[in-house]
Order: sequence, then structure tokens, then C-alpha cells
Amino acid sequence: MRTLDPAQFARRSFVYRRLVGHGAVFADMGGGVVAEHFGAAEAEAVSATRLGLADLSPLPRIGFKGRGALAWLSGQGVRGLAEDNRADRQTDGTRAARLAPTEALILSDLTATSRIFERLTTTWRLETASQCYLLPRGDSHYWLHISGEHAAAMFAKLCGVDLRPDRFAAGAIAQTSIARSNAIVIRSDQGSTLGFDLLGDSASADYMWGCLLDAMAEFGGRPVGRAALMRLADGASR
Amino acid sequence: MKRAPFRLPAQIGERIDRSRTVSFSFEGRTYDGLAGDTIASALASHGVRVLSRSFKYHRPRGALTMAGQDANTLVQLTEEPNVLADTTPITGGLEVRGQNYSGSLAWDRDAWLNAVGRFLPVGFYYKAFYKPLGAWRRWEPVIRARAGLGEVNLDTAHRYYDKAYGFSDVAVIGAGPAGLSAALEAARAGLDVLLVEENPVLGGSLTYARFDADGALGRQRLAELASAVRAESRITVMTGAVCQGLLTENWLPIIQGNRLHKVRARQVVLATGSVEQPVVFRNNDAPGVMQGSAAQRLIRHYGVRPGRRAVVVTGNADGYGVALDLLDAGIEVAGILDLRATPPHEERTDAVRARNVAIYPRYAPWEARRSARGILKGLSAAPIVGHGKCEPADVRLECDLLCMSIGYAPTAQLLHYAGGSVVYDRAAATFAIKSAPAGVIPAGSLDGAYDLETAIADGRRAGMQAAAGLGAPSRGEPPAVRGKNASGWNHPWPIFPHPRGKDFVDFDEDLQVKDIRNAIAEGYDHIELLKRFSTAGMGPSQGRHTALSLARITAEATGRELEIIGATTARPPYSAEKFGHLAGRGFEPVRLSAMHHRHLEAGAEMMPAGLWLRPAYYGPKDRREAAIREEVEAVRANVGLIDVSTLGGLDVRGPDAAEFLNRMYTFAYANQQVGRARYVLMCDQTGAIIDDGVACRFHDWHFYVTATTGGADRVYQTMLWHNAQWRLDVDITNATAAYAGVNLAGPRSREVLAKLATDVDLSAPAFPYMGVRMGTVAGIPARLLRVGFVGELGYEIHVPASAGEALWDALLWAGAPLGIKPFGVEAQRLLRLEKGHIIVGQDTDGETHPYMADMGWAIAKKKPFFVGARAIEAQMKRPLQRKLVGFTLVDPAEPPPEECHLVIREGAIVGRVTSAAFSPSLSRVIGLAFVPPEQTEPGARFSIKVAGGRMIEAQVVKPPFLDPNNARQEG
Repeated sequence: MRTLDPAQFARRSFVYRRLVGHGAVFADMGGGVVAEHFGAAEAEAVSATRLGLADLSPLPRIGFKGRGALAWLSGQGVRGLAEDNRADRQTDGTRAARLAPTEALILSDLTATSRIFERLTTTWRLETASQCYLLPRGDSHYWLHISGEHAAAMFAKLCGVDLRPDRFAAGAIAQTSIARSNAIVIRSDQGSTLGFDLLGDSASADYMWGCLLDAMAEFGGRPVGRAALMRLADGASR
Repeated sequence: MKRAPFRLPAQIGERIDRSRTVSFSFEGRTYDGLAGDTIASALASHGVRVLSRSFKYHRPRGALTMAGQDANTLVQLTEEPNVLADTTPITGGLEVRGQNYSGSLAWDRDAWLNAVGRFLPVGFYYKAFYKPLGAWRRWEPVIRARAGLGEVNLDTAHRYYDKAYGFSDVAVIGAGPAGLSAALEAARAGLDVLLVEENPVLGGSLTYARFDADGALGRQRLAELASAVRAESRITVMTGAVCQGLLTENWLPIIQGNRLHKVRARQVVLATGSVEQPVVFRNNDAPGVMQGSAAQRLIRHYGVRPGRRAVVVTGNADGYGVALDLLDAGIEVAGILDLRATPPHEERTDAVRARNVAIYPRYAPWEARRSARGILKGLSAAPIVGHGKCEPADVRLECDLLCMSIGYAPTAQLLHYAGGSVVYDRAAATFAIKSAPAGVIPAGSLDGAYDLETAIADGRRAGMQAAAGLGAPSRGEPPAVRGKNASGWNHPWPIFPHPRGKDFVDFDEDLQVKDIRNAIAEGYDHIELLKRFSTAGMGPSQGRHTALSLARITAEATGRELEIIGATTARPPYSAEKFGHLAGRGFEPVRLSAMHHRHLEAGAEMMPAGLWLRPAYYGPKDRREAAIREEVEAVRANVGLIDVSTLGGLDVRGPDAAEFLNRMYTFAYANQQVGRARYVLMCDQTGAIIDDGVACRFHDWHFYVTATTGGADRVYQTMLWHNAQWRLDVDITNATAAYAGVNLAGPRSREVLAKLATDVDLSAPAFPYMGVRMGTVAGIPARLLRVGFVGELGYEIHVPASAGEALWDALLWAGAPLGIKPFGVEAQRLLRLEKGHIIVGQDTDGETHPYMADMGWAIAKKKPFFVGARAIEAQMKRPLQRKLVGFTLVDPAEPPPEECHLVIREGAIVGRVTSAAFSPSLSRVIGLAFVPPEQTEPGARFSIKVAGGRMIEAQVVKPPFLDPNNARQEG
């Protein structure tokens, strides 16, 4: 199967070489190429229900911080953001996560079709967005997604926060240490499949990818592509 | 290979798979066991009794508990010493040897130590080898050669160990009758329960003990409770898992296999049970003497007949249960010695009587008779006439098995760790719980519930108490638990000292009754002092079989009450744990720049820089010097490219951004123009230099500030810390990871960049030295900084991290026709040294203030404040003690000194070299050094003591060494 070569694009995932090594087939998501699948999308979807690791780093995301950040975002039509460490789904499928009273993060859905990222980027001005400062989260943070019934048990090997599904509700956020590296964990199920978004220092992406694969091994976890997650999310808002 | 003559027909609940044979070797001889066998059970099935030798007297030792509770079964595997043979499963090809012998296990050349025991009294080590002065040095190798247990195999391959966190509402430690009941009650109250059992299956004593005459009760209760637990989805079961501690806020380290689970529980039910206690009498350590429960375990768990002809020593009804099990297993029971004067009627007692077994009331084991190889062959029994006193032995029983069932001590280690305590209970004739901390609930025989139904009821009570403690809805009144700490289960004095000794109180340390008495006579009469002086309870068993006897003997010898004597303190871990468990899987974060793989592809030798990896130079190690020189030459003569992504990048934004930098750094920034960069030097509150970089003003309210690779996080934290107090209207963002950066440097760098940065006027007037611009490079949005750390025309180009590799590729492509060359950190260090630029942390230390580093030029004199200003001002009121200067060597043939080589004057240390290298550009050695203030003038000479103590002469040179007019970098 022909695939795109990530190295032909200016923007490259922080772990694209790992993905190539796993045999990824890439898709152009408009500005970045994402691992769509690893040769067998249907089988990956099954794997993803058990334990899958997907790289979503090329998908859009943006952050804002400052004492006026939440108010400015609210003025831009971003809903929710009422509670710290909660992520709320927006009408366009994106999710807005309140990390602190002074900080928020907005994540794309799997289709990356929302225009909110361009709109916020172009609307934001240092002089006019009072006490609100744009953060380049697309580059400062990798974005991985861990899905499947064993995800919480796998995380227990890397992280001291109780991520069991009955204790860590959908939309809940933990800002914690994963394998001794600072990270943000957001409960984000795909359809009925347990899932977590994991965001952390982009320079540590390769390290984290290795840690995750190592921790996943005992559960038979494997890399999965965006297509597998799309299948899981099928029927639910992405 | 031999058949197993002691293997019994299939037993209900046995743990072996009779369809699978497993071959292993012991002492070089091959044996067949069955899958599920432990080393000890498999050997027992072949009649092998001796597993190892004792620590001090090299006496043969065999299975005592079959529960991993003693040191008698410590054996040596090829890759691992001190393995418990009674709990370690056999595997195909496993090679096992005994421990602590010289020659062979059967005929130990060091067995003579047993005969000279009287010359090795308690405290022997403390007294014998330390005088005269220096004696220990001679004795130590001799003693070390004799002492110790197994041997570490340094060739053992690394194994994978890891850790995992765990969480539960209620953790129940121990899955015997009480633990199972407690877990069920807590789960039924809607709580998540973690049930931890050290054995491979649930049930505890239900799996081996005999609670009634026909043995059905235990099986019935086990079936009921275990199936209910398995059906309860709220209970997570961990078998083969040992809880090693009970620490602050119910933190439970639990080892299961090669994993350490770090569990946090809101409530803890301790149902850890109790340990059957030995009888103290002569030769009570002979292989063949074991706990009654050990014999039952061999029969029930492994289908192994523990002997052919047995004697049971007991003081309770459980001993009669043991006798019934032995009889059912086809073992002849030669007799039962009952320490009590009149054994009461009880179901099991009566059943034994009905089977015509000889019962000897008020009889004690006086001496176990041993074969030439030290194995049990018979018993002399004597009538008890008083407290540990007997008349002459008048009964001789031939036997190869002696089972001891005289009572229990609570397994209270976890309770101790949590801050609870036990006290001797005279009615129960054992230790009983005195206190337990909040959130820790003892249950079962740990808490004196020895009767089966009492233990089950007590478990239910504990489970309900745990649920109530967490506010779970009540499920009714807790059951009334009666009969705890009742008499009849434990004999108050199962100690029968023998005039000829070898009546062991502590098997691990070969301590006899007289040893304890002698230690007390020497004044060590407090239980804790006694423990340390005698080492009683300090071996691998950690006092499980010693503490109670030790307390009793101490009470007798001191005349104090047992309630006053108390118990020795137990400390974690509960059982042996490996360094692998503690270390776990190491997590050592590594940060990689976006161009990391390009460096590897180019043959870079990488070096750590904090958490980052950076290219030191490009090329093989054996070309290091040449590679560095070529890289330097490329930058000086042509164009080079270095990855500077690891430098800190901080966005300081907001109306007060300039004021904030004014306070944080030594220079002035209020009037810095947009589009310009300015050097930044940060000091701490003592005035010491802690970091440097440049501040690039892209907007009135926006500075992009760089920091050193190693200092970025500290700079960020320092900024946040100060602004938490100043509360200036400014935001500080650590954008280090968000940007990849390169420094394109060299006289032809502009030429290269011009091919890619078409929207930025790169001409010198339009983009001068220390200018900063926003633009695009190869279509990638970029921050361009015209700065010159290496002293050449150059541009730092900072782009979004995801595009870092594309930028690198584009610059190499654009520079290829010009012969662009990537350069590494080593070349950069040399290049900056030629310009006289310091590296913070290398050319400065924790006491270097700016004037000391000859950087007074970096201090804005007119501004009212910056961090460290007051301290610097105070220090400048005193004469400088040292100053950083540039130097070259007087003799150009001398090799460069190394960093930290000392500056010597009249024999005294007056300074040190901080940087030194041979400059290919200047063809001489250059360096920086701290020297006394009076030796700082250019031309002044000073002496450096180099390797081997040789002195070389250096001469002060005012930096920069190269291009003093900055024509190259400002061109």
C-alpha cells in the first residue's frame, strides 16, 4: 500500500520514525500527517478495544493562559471551562480542557475539521486579549491516545493517579507524572471504549512512546492508527 | 532418576498436577517432581530431609513450616542465593544446592563447629576478635569465609522487575477464613476490596488444617467462602502476593512475582493469621522435626507423606487434627505427647483416642535422637514435673517425623509497622493485640480468634467495621464475636531446656536456651537489648518462632512479668525482598531535539546535557580531535550549523514584561528597542551568577528570553517564584520544548540563509548584529536572532519544534553547495572560548558574582534593583579574592591544562583553570582561569599545577582571544 512519507512534510510528528518503524500508513490531515493505520485497520480496532496506542500529535491543539484566559475564550464562544481539571466537548467536536483557573487547552477531534484553531489564532492579539496569552501546545506537547479495557491497568505501572474508570470520570484530567515525566492525562473514551489522551513535553515523546510500549506489552497492547479510533468512536461525537 | 516413594494418592485441594513431571537437580542429583511442587515438597516426596546447614554450627536442617516462614529451607539456585525451598516452585532443569556447608551437604567439613559450641558463646563475635588492636583485620577474612548464606552469582542475567500503583477502598491482607469473610462483607457494602494472599490459592488454614474429626468442615467453609469471593466483582484477588509493609496513610508495598505494587487503601483489614510455634527441647532442629501445620501442608498441598512413623507433640486440639491427618495419610503415629495434664474431650481428641493411638499426657519431648547424619530417628520423652522441668526420660519412641502443635503467635508484623502493639495475654498464653491505629482493623487468629467459626465471624465483623469507617450503608449489626484470646490453644511453657543444650530458641542464629540466659546474666536483660546482643530474632525468620520463647525465657530469668517484658519491635519488610523489587523498572527521561535522528545519521557522538542528548562532535571516536578541529575551521572559514534546541526559551509577555526583566537580570531592558536582543545575566539572591542568554524583544510586551540548556528549568522556576511576590502584570511561559533552534554560523551563513528566508532583509544594515526578526525560513515561521556566541556572523533560527527537522534538512540542503558542516558542542565550546565567552557553571561557580567574572559591563548601574544587586554591592565593598582572566601558555609547546587544574602561588592554591583548549584558529593554548586580583593585568604570569604535579607558566591575556573588534560577528 502506498503511503505518504512524513519526512516530505515540514511538520512531523515527534515520533514519526517510531511510526514508520511499526509500518504506519499515513494520511494528510492538513498541515501534518497522522498514522492512519498499520496495515490492518479492522484488526487494529479490535486491538484498540483491549489496549492501543495512537499518535495524535499532528492533530490541532492550542492553549491559553493568564488571568484573563478563560474569560477571553468564553468571549470566543468556547463553552464549559467551569471546573478545574475537566474537559468539555464543544459543539464542533473539539474539547476544551480547563487545566487551572488561568489555563485552558483545546483539542481537536479525530477529523480535525474544526476551524476553531485558525480562528482563535488569528483573533488573538497580545494587546487586546487582556491577560490572555497564547500557548503553542501543538509543538510544546506530544499528544498520544491510549485506548482499551487495559488502559488504566497499564497506566498504573507508570503513574500514581487512580485512573480506573469508576474513579476517573469521563472528561476528568490529571496533571501528573508519567514515568517520571510531567504529563496531562484526560479521560476521553472513544465511543464505549475506555480512552485517555496523554499530552507531555514534546522533546520527551520518543522516551514516552518507549515507556508506554514497554508497559503495554504484558497486555498485548500495540500501536493503532487514527482509523481504529474512528471506528471506536463511530456513532459517537468525535 | 528415582520414583517418589513418599508421594501419596491424590488429595482434595492439592496444588500439584500429577500429569506433568518436572525434573530438577539437588546437590547434583536429578529428581522428578510434579508441576506445582515446591523444591522442598518434591525432595520430601523422595525422602530427602536435609535441605541446608545451619548458620553457626552447620547442623543439618530440613523443612520446619513449609510456609516460607523459616530459614531452614534456604537453598542456592544457580542464579539466586537464599531461596526458600518450601515456597519456590520447581521448574524443569532447575539446579538446586544446599547452603552453608563445606564439602558436601551430607558430610560437611565444618560440622565440627557443632562440637565446639561451648567455645562460641553468645556475643562471641563482639568479644573475641577485636583485641588486641588490629586483630579484626586478621580474623575478618577467616570469619567471612565461614559465614554468610548463599553466594551471589555475578554473571546472573538482569531480570525485568517493575512497579505498579494500586488503589482500593479496603485492603484485606490474608485470605484465610477471617480475611475471606472480611473481604466479602466489605465488598457487599459496595466497596472496592483488594484481597492479598501470600499463598498461591485462597483459604489460608482452610487449605490444610483439620478443624473436625472427619476433616469436612474446613473443606466446606473453604468452598463457601472462596466461591463467594470469586463471584464478587468488587473483590480483586492477589495471590502469591506478599504485603511487605503497612506504612503511612495505609501505603502497602505488595510484592507479587517481579512486581512491587504500591497500593493505597482507605481501610486495611489485617487477617494475617498466626504462626505455629515450636517446642524448645534438645535437637529440636533435627530434620524430621516440623510444625504440625507443615506436615499437614505436605499432605494436603503436595500429596507427600512427611514421614513413616510419627510422634505428635501438642498442647491443644489442633495437634490431634494433625494426628488424624497423619493416620489418614498412612503414617503410623507412635504416640502423642500432650503437654497438658488432662487433655480435655474434644471431637478430634476423641477421634484419635478411638483410633488407639498412644497418648502420653503431661509428657514433654526431652531429646530428639539423631542419626549419624543428624536426621531424626527417635524421641526420648519425659514426664513434666513443673515449669519446663521434667523427670528423667522414660519413654523412647522410634520415629522419623515429629510434629509440634503447641500453639500460636500472632503474625503481627504489619500491625507493628503501622504503629500498633501487642502484649502478652496470660489467659491466651500468647501475645494479643493491645492497640491498632485508626483505619487498621485486625481480625481472625491475629486477633486471638483461633476457633474456625470465631475467626469467620470476626472477619465479618472486621469487614463491616471497615465499611462503616468509610461511611458505607450499614448492612446490619456486626456479629457478636465471642471466644477470642481464649485459653486452650496455646501452651504457656513449651520450653524444656536440656543440660547438654542444643535446645534451640532461634534456628536462624543457632541460639540455645543457655545463650539467652547467659546474655541476660551479662546484663542484657531488656528484650530489645537482648535481641541485639544475642541476635535472637534478627535472622531471616525475623523472630516468627523466637519472639514468644525469648520473652518467656527473659521473664523467667529476670523475674519480671511477661506482660512487662513485651515483644520485640518488628520492622519492615515482612519478608526478604530483592534489590530488583526496590529498583523496579528504571525510568530515566531523555529529551531529544527534533533533529536528534539527523545527528545520529550524520555520525554524531552524543553527550548528555541535563536530560537532553546533544551532539558532541560528528565522526568516530578515534577522530574526535580532528573532527572538532574541522568543525571549528568550518565555522571560522565557511559556515557551520549547530542544534541549539536544548537552550531554554521563555516567552515573557505582558505590560510589565520589560520591568520584570529589569528586576530579574543585571542589564537594563526598559528601553530596549523592539527588534533588538540584549545579553541577560541572572544572579541569585547571593549575587552569584546562575544563568545567561539573550532577551529578544519582539513586541513592547513580549520578550523571548533564552537560557542555558542546564539552567532553563531553574530560570523558569526562579521567574515564577519572584513574580509570585512582585505580582507584575506579566506571563512567563517555558517554551523550550515548543521551539527547535539552530545556530547557523560562519562568514557564509548569510549566504545560506538568504536562500531560504526570502521575506527577511538579511543585509547588515537591515538586520544588524543583535537584531531579531520574525519571518519564515523554508516556509516555516521562524524567530531569527542575529547573535554571536561563537564569534562569527551567525543567526539563531527558532522554529516550531515539529518543523525542526525540516529546518535542519533545508539548511543543509541550502548550504550544501558551500560545504556547510554541522558542528557539535565541543566545537562550540572552543569557538566561544576563542571569543572569551563564559559558560555558566563551568567558568563560574556558586560564589562567582559578575565582577569576579570580569562582567561588570553586564550590570546596569543606574537601575534601582535586580535580583542579587544588594549582595553584589555588599561584596564589592570588600576586596575581590579572585577574578576570571584569559590566559595563554608561556611555552607554546605545552599541552593545555585541564579544567580545575590549580593556580599556585608560593605553594598555596590561589585559583583554578575553568576552561582551556588548543585553539586551531590561533595555533596556541587559550583558557580562562580564576587568579588573585593582583595577577589580572595582561602580561601577568601565574603558575598552573598540571597532571603529575608539574608546574607550567601561564600569562594573562585580555579576552577575546580572537577578533577583539568583533568585526567577524558584526559584519
